[in-house]
Amino acid sequence: MNNETLENLAKRLGSNAAARLNVEATARKVVERLREQPARRTTWIHQSWLRIAAALVIVLGGAALVVRQSLVTSDAGHTAHFVADDLNDLSADELRDVLAALDEMITSDSVAVPEGSTDLHELDAQQLRAVLRSLEG
Amino acid sequence: MAQPHMVPAAHDTALIAAWQAGDEQAAAELVGRHARPLARFLAGAGAPDADVDDLVQETFIRAFRGVDRFRGHCQFRTWLLTIGSNVLKDFGRRAARRKVMPLDDGVRDTTGDPHEHAEAREAEALLAAGLKQLPRLQREVFLLRAQQGLEYEEIAAALATTPGAARVHYHHAVRRLKETVK
Repeated sequence: MNNETLENLAKRLGSNAAARLNVEATARKVVERLREQPARRTTWIHQSWLRIAAALVIVLGGAALVVRQSLVTSDAGHTAHFVADDLNDLSADELRDVLAALDEMITSDSVAVPEGSTDLHELDAQQLRAVLRSLEG
Repeated sequence: MAQPHMVPAAHDTALIAAWQAGDEQAAAELVGRHARPLARFLAGAGAPDADVDDLVQETFIRAFRGVDRFRGHCQFRTWLLTIGSNVLKDFGRRAARRKVMPLDDGVRDTTGDPHEHAEAREAEALLAAGLKQLPRLQREVFLLRAQQGLEYEEIAAALATTPGAARVHYHHAVRRLKETVK
Protein backbone atom coordinates (compact mmCIF):
# COMPACT_ATOMS: atom_id res chain seq x y z
CA MET A 1 0.00 0.00 0.00
CA ASN A 2 1.38 3.41 -0.95
CA ASN A 3 0.96 6.70 0.85
CA GLU A 4 -1.77 7.94 -1.48
CA THR A 5 -3.92 4.88 -0.94
CA LEU A 6 -3.46 5.15 2.79
CA GLU A 7 -4.40 8.84 2.77
CA ASN A 8 -7.47 8.18 0.64
CA LEU A 9 -8.51 5.52 3.08
CA ALA A 10 -7.95 7.93 5.94
CA LYS A 11 -10.13 10.55 4.21
CA ARG A 12 -13.00 8.08 4.08
CA LEU A 13 -12.54 7.11 7.69
CA GLY A 14 -15.47 8.30 9.76
CA SER A 15 -17.40 9.57 6.75
CA ASN A 16 -20.41 7.40 7.62
CA ALA A 17 -20.58 8.79 11.13
CA ALA A 18 -20.24 12.32 9.78
CA ALA A 19 -22.96 11.71 7.19
CA ARG A 20 -25.36 10.46 9.84
CA LEU A 21 -24.79 13.48 12.04
CA ASN A 22 -27.78 15.81 12.16
CA VAL A 23 -25.90 19.07 12.18
CA GLU A 24 -28.90 21.32 12.82
CA ALA A 25 -30.05 19.21 15.73
CA THR A 26 -26.51 19.17 17.09
CA ALA A 27 -26.27 22.95 16.83
CA ARG A 28 -29.61 23.32 18.58
CA LYS A 29 -28.59 21.00 21.42
CA VAL A 30 -25.27 22.75 21.83
CA VAL A 31 -26.92 26.15 22.03
CA GLU A 32 -29.47 24.83 24.53
CA ARG A 33 -26.73 23.41 26.70
CA LEU A 34 -24.79 26.64 26.46
CA ARG A 35 -27.84 28.54 27.72
CA GLU A 36 -27.80 26.37 30.81
CA GLN A 37 -24.04 26.65 31.10
CA PRO A 38 -23.43 30.14 32.62
CA ALA A 39 -24.85 29.22 36.02
CA ARG A 40 -22.79 26.04 36.10
CA ARG A 41 -19.79 28.00 35.02
CA THR A 42 -20.32 30.57 37.74
CA THR A 43 -20.66 27.79 40.28
CA TRP A 44 -17.50 26.22 38.98
CA ILE A 45 -15.68 29.53 39.21
CA HIS A 46 -16.94 30.08 42.75
CA GLN A 47 -15.88 26.60 43.76
CA SER A 48 -12.50 27.09 42.15
CA TRP A 49 -11.92 30.40 43.87
CA LEU A 50 -13.01 28.92 47.17
CA ARG A 51 -10.52 26.09 46.72
CA ILE A 52 -7.78 28.51 45.77
CA ALA A 53 -8.61 30.74 48.76
CA ALA A 54 -8.62 27.74 51.11
CA ALA A 55 -5.29 26.59 49.75
CA LEU A 56 -3.86 30.09 50.19
CA VAL A 57 -5.08 30.26 53.78
CA ILE A 58 -3.48 26.90 54.53
CA VAL A 59 -0.20 27.86 52.87
CA LEU A 60 0.00 31.32 54.43
CA GLY A 61 -1.12 30.04 57.83
CA GLY A 62 1.46 27.30 57.70
CA ALA A 63 4.14 29.76 56.66
CA ALA A 64 3.17 32.13 59.49
CA LEU A 65 3.35 29.29 61.99
CA VAL A 66 6.77 28.25 60.75
CA VAL A 67 8.09 31.81 60.91
CA ARG A 68 6.64 32.33 64.38
CA GLN A 69 8.08 29.04 65.58
CA SER A 70 11.48 29.91 64.23
CA LEU A 71 11.35 33.34 65.92
CA VAL A 72 10.39 31.78 69.25
CA THR A 73 13.23 29.30 68.92
CA SER A 74 15.59 32.11 68.04
CA ASP A 75 14.49 34.19 71.05
CA ALA A 76 14.80 31.21 73.33
CA GLY A 77 18.32 30.72 72.05
CA HIS A 78 19.22 34.29 72.99
CA THR A 79 17.69 33.92 76.45
CA ALA A 80 19.53 30.75 77.17
CA HIS A 81 22.85 32.08 75.97
CA PHE A 82 25.44 32.60 78.69
CA VAL A 83 28.78 34.29 78.35
CA ALA A 84 30.24 31.39 80.27
CA ASP A 85 29.30 29.12 77.36
CA ASP A 86 31.79 30.99 75.24
CA LEU A 87 34.54 30.04 77.69
CA ASN A 88 34.00 26.35 77.13
CA ASP A 89 36.16 26.36 74.07
CA LEU A 90 39.09 28.07 75.77
CA SER A 91 42.11 26.16 77.03
CA ALA A 92 43.50 26.61 80.52
CA ASP A 93 46.21 28.97 79.24
CA GLU A 94 43.65 31.05 77.41
CA LEU A 95 41.47 31.23 80.49
CA ARG A 96 44.46 32.39 82.49
CA ASP A 97 45.07 35.10 79.91
CA VAL A 98 41.43 36.22 80.19
CA LEU A 99 41.64 36.38 83.97
CA ALA A 100 44.93 38.22 83.81
CA ALA A 101 43.42 40.73 81.43
CA LEU A 102 40.46 41.14 83.72
CA ASP A 103 42.77 41.59 86.65
CA GLU A 104 44.70 44.14 84.72
CA MET A 105 41.53 46.03 83.89
CA ILE A 106 40.43 45.99 87.48
CA THR A 107 43.74 47.25 88.71
CA SER A 108 44.03 49.89 86.02
CA ASP A 109 43.06 53.51 86.63
CA SER A 110 40.04 53.36 84.38
CA VAL A 111 38.27 51.01 86.70
CA ALA A 112 36.67 52.57 89.74
CA VAL A 113 38.02 50.22 92.36
CA PRO A 114 37.43 51.55 95.82
CA GLU A 115 40.51 52.82 97.50
CA GLY A 116 42.26 50.41 99.78
CA SER A 117 40.68 47.35 98.18
CA THR A 118 42.84 44.95 96.15
CA ASP A 119 40.75 41.82 96.51
CA LEU A 120 37.27 41.47 94.99
CA HIS A 121 36.21 39.37 97.95
CA GLU A 122 36.55 42.40 100.16
CA LEU A 123 34.10 44.47 98.10
CA ASP A 124 30.46 44.78 99.03
CA ALA A 125 27.68 44.59 96.49
CA GLN A 126 27.60 48.31 95.75
CA GLN A 127 31.33 48.38 95.16
CA LEU A 128 31.14 45.33 92.93
CA ARG A 129 28.44 46.99 90.85
CA ALA A 130 30.62 50.05 90.46
CA VAL A 131 33.47 47.84 89.26
CA LEU A 132 31.22 46.10 86.74
CA ARG A 133 29.86 49.42 85.46
CA SER A 134 33.36 50.66 84.90
CA LEU A 135 34.21 47.48 83.04
CA GLU A 136 31.27 48.07 80.71
CA GLY A 137 32.88 51.38 79.79
CA MET B 1 -32.32 27.91 16.42
CA ALA B 2 -29.39 28.14 14.05
CA GLN B 3 -29.77 30.36 11.01
CA PRO B 4 -26.41 30.00 9.29
CA HIS B 5 -27.52 31.99 6.24
CA MET B 6 -27.64 35.11 8.41
CA VAL B 7 -23.86 35.29 8.51
CA PRO B 8 -22.69 33.44 5.40
CA ALA B 9 -19.31 35.03 4.86
CA ALA B 10 -18.31 35.65 8.43
CA HIS B 11 -14.86 34.44 9.40
CA ASP B 12 -14.56 32.07 12.32
CA THR B 13 -12.90 34.72 14.44
CA ALA B 14 -15.81 37.10 13.80
CA LEU B 15 -18.25 34.37 14.82
CA ILE B 16 -16.22 33.65 17.95
CA ALA B 17 -16.29 37.33 18.85
CA ALA B 18 -20.03 37.41 18.22
CA TRP B 19 -20.53 34.36 20.46
CA GLN B 20 -18.44 35.99 23.16
CA ALA B 21 -20.76 38.97 22.90
CA GLY B 22 -23.72 36.66 23.51
CA ASP B 23 -24.82 35.81 19.96
CA GLU B 24 -26.18 32.25 20.05
CA GLN B 25 -26.58 32.18 16.27
CA ALA B 26 -22.85 32.63 15.93
CA ALA B 27 -22.33 29.53 18.06
CA ALA B 28 -24.83 27.61 15.96
CA GLU B 29 -23.07 28.75 12.79
CA LEU B 30 -19.73 27.53 14.11
CA VAL B 31 -21.30 24.17 14.91
CA GLY B 32 -22.73 24.02 11.39
CA ARG B 33 -19.36 24.73 9.85
CA HIS B 34 -17.26 22.31 11.80
CA ALA B 35 -19.51 19.53 13.13
CA ARG B 36 -19.02 17.08 10.26
CA PRO B 37 -15.22 17.35 10.04
CA LEU B 38 -15.15 16.98 13.79
CA ALA B 39 -17.38 13.91 13.59
CA ARG B 40 -15.08 12.38 10.96
CA PHE B 41 -12.06 13.11 13.10
CA LEU B 42 -13.64 11.59 16.22
CA ALA B 43 -14.82 8.51 14.36
CA GLY B 44 -11.41 8.14 12.76
CA ALA B 45 -9.75 8.43 16.14
CA GLY B 46 -11.81 5.54 17.44
CA ALA B 47 -15.11 6.99 18.69
CA PRO B 48 -17.95 4.47 18.45
CA ASP B 49 -20.40 5.62 15.76
CA ALA B 50 -23.27 5.63 18.24
CA ASP B 51 -21.44 8.11 20.47
CA VAL B 52 -20.14 10.48 17.83
CA ASP B 53 -23.12 12.84 18.15
CA ASP B 54 -22.69 13.18 21.91
CA LEU B 55 -18.95 13.60 21.58
CA VAL B 56 -19.37 16.32 18.96
CA GLN B 57 -21.74 18.18 21.27
CA GLU B 58 -19.41 17.81 24.23
CA THR B 59 -16.49 19.05 22.16
CA PHE B 60 -18.37 22.17 21.10
CA ILE B 61 -19.55 22.81 24.65
CA ARG B 62 -15.99 22.63 25.94
CA ALA B 63 -14.72 24.77 23.10
CA PHE B 64 -17.31 27.49 23.65
CA ARG B 65 -16.80 27.43 27.38
CA GLY B 66 -13.05 27.78 26.94
CA VAL B 67 -13.06 30.00 23.87
CA ASP B 68 -11.23 32.72 25.82
CA ARG B 69 -8.18 30.47 25.68
CA PHE B 70 -8.24 30.37 21.88
CA ARG B 71 -5.53 32.83 20.81
CA GLY B 72 -5.75 32.29 17.08
CA HIS B 73 -2.41 30.45 16.97
CA CYS B 74 -4.09 27.98 14.61
CA GLN B 75 -7.42 27.70 12.85
CA PHE B 76 -10.51 27.38 15.02
CA ARG B 77 -11.25 23.99 13.46
CA THR B 78 -7.79 22.67 14.28
CA TRP B 79 -8.16 23.87 17.86
CA LEU B 80 -11.59 22.25 17.98
CA LEU B 81 -10.17 18.93 16.79
CA THR B 82 -7.57 18.92 19.55
CA ILE B 83 -10.36 19.53 22.07
CA GLY B 84 -12.25 16.68 20.46
CA SER B 85 -9.24 14.47 20.98
CA ASN B 86 -9.28 15.30 24.71
CA VAL B 87 -13.03 14.69 24.89
CA LEU B 88 -12.53 11.31 23.24
CA LYS B 89 -9.74 10.45 25.66
CA ASP B 90 -12.01 11.24 28.62
CA PHE B 91 -14.78 9.23 27.00
CA GLY B 92 -12.41 6.29 26.61
CA ARG B 93 -11.55 6.42 30.30
CA ARG B 94 -15.21 6.45 31.31
CA ALA B 95 -16.02 3.67 28.84
CA ALA B 96 -13.18 1.57 30.20
CA ARG B 97 -14.61 1.91 33.70
CA ARG B 98 -18.08 0.98 32.50
CA LYS B 99 -16.78 -1.64 30.04
CA VAL B 100 -18.88 -0.34 27.15
CA MET B 101 -19.29 -2.81 24.32
CA PRO B 102 -17.98 -1.81 20.87
CA LEU B 103 -20.30 -0.62 18.16
CA ASP B 104 -22.60 -3.20 16.59
CA ASP B 105 -21.98 -3.53 12.85
CA GLY B 106 -25.75 -3.49 12.31
CA VAL B 107 -25.90 0.27 12.70
CA ARG B 108 -23.33 0.93 9.98
CA ASP B 109 -24.28 2.13 6.52
CA THR B 110 -25.28 -0.82 4.31
CA THR B 111 -26.13 1.02 1.09
CA GLY B 112 -24.21 0.50 -2.16
CA ASP B 113 -22.45 -2.52 -3.68
CA PRO B 114 -22.17 -5.17 -0.98
CA HIS B 115 -18.80 -6.46 -2.23
CA GLU B 116 -17.18 -3.03 -2.54
CA HIS B 117 -18.73 -2.03 0.67
CA ALA B 118 -17.34 -5.05 2.43
CA GLU B 119 -13.84 -4.38 1.07
CA ALA B 120 -14.00 -0.73 2.04
CA ARG B 121 -15.26 -1.63 5.47
CA GLU B 122 -12.52 -4.16 5.89
CA ALA B 123 -9.82 -1.66 4.92
CA GLU B 124 -11.34 1.00 7.14
CA ALA B 125 -11.59 -1.43 10.01
CA LEU B 126 -7.93 -2.34 9.56
CA LEU B 127 -6.95 1.29 9.45
CA ALA B 128 -9.08 2.07 12.48
CA ALA B 129 -7.50 -0.83 14.34
CA GLY B 130 -4.04 0.34 13.29
CA LEU B 131 -4.78 3.87 14.46
CA LYS B 132 -5.81 2.58 17.86
CA GLN B 133 -2.40 0.95 18.20
CA LEU B 134 -0.55 4.19 17.52
CA PRO B 135 0.66 6.55 20.23
CA ARG B 136 -1.83 9.36 20.66
CA LEU B 137 0.37 12.04 19.12
CA GLN B 138 1.10 9.95 16.03
CA ARG B 139 -2.60 9.18 15.65
CA GLU B 140 -3.59 12.83 15.95
CA VAL B 141 -0.92 14.01 13.55
CA PHE B 142 -1.87 11.33 11.03
CA LEU B 143 -5.57 12.21 11.17
CA LEU B 144 -4.97 15.95 11.05
CA ARG B 145 -2.69 15.51 8.07
CA ALA B 146 -4.20 12.62 6.09
CA GLN B 147 -7.86 12.95 6.99
CA GLN B 148 -8.22 16.70 7.56
CA GLY B 149 -5.58 17.78 5.05
CA LEU B 150 -3.77 20.21 7.36
CA GLU B 151 -0.26 21.52 6.82
CA TYR B 152 2.49 20.53 9.23
CA GLU B 153 2.81 24.12 10.44
CA GLU B 154 -0.87 24.18 11.39
CA ILE B 155 -0.65 20.78 13.07
CA ALA B 156 2.44 21.84 14.99
CA ALA B 157 0.76 25.02 16.22
CA ALA B 158 -2.28 23.09 17.42
CA LEU B 159 -0.30 20.38 19.15
CA ALA B 160 2.36 22.68 20.58
CA THR B 161 5.19 21.02 18.71
CA THR B 162 7.38 21.85 15.74
CA PRO B 163 6.57 21.21 12.09
CA GLY B 164 9.61 18.95 11.89
CA ALA B 165 8.43 16.88 14.82
CA ALA B 166 4.93 16.69 13.34
CA ARG B 167 6.43 15.45 10.08
CA VAL B 168 8.39 12.77 11.92
CA HIS B 169 5.26 11.66 13.82
CA TYR B 170 3.37 11.46 10.56
CA HIS B 171 5.96 9.31 8.87
CA HIS B 172 6.20 6.99 11.86
CA ALA B 173 2.41 6.65 11.80
CA VAL B 174 2.34 5.94 8.07
CA ARG B 175 5.08 3.33 8.38
CA ARG B 176 3.25 1.53 11.16
CA LEU B 177 -0.16 1.78 9.49
CA LYS B 178 1.20 0.32 6.26
CA GLU B 179 2.25 -2.73 8.22
CA THR B 180 -1.28 -3.04 9.58
CA VAL B 181 -3.25 -2.23 6.41
CA LYS B 182 -1.68 -4.34 3.66
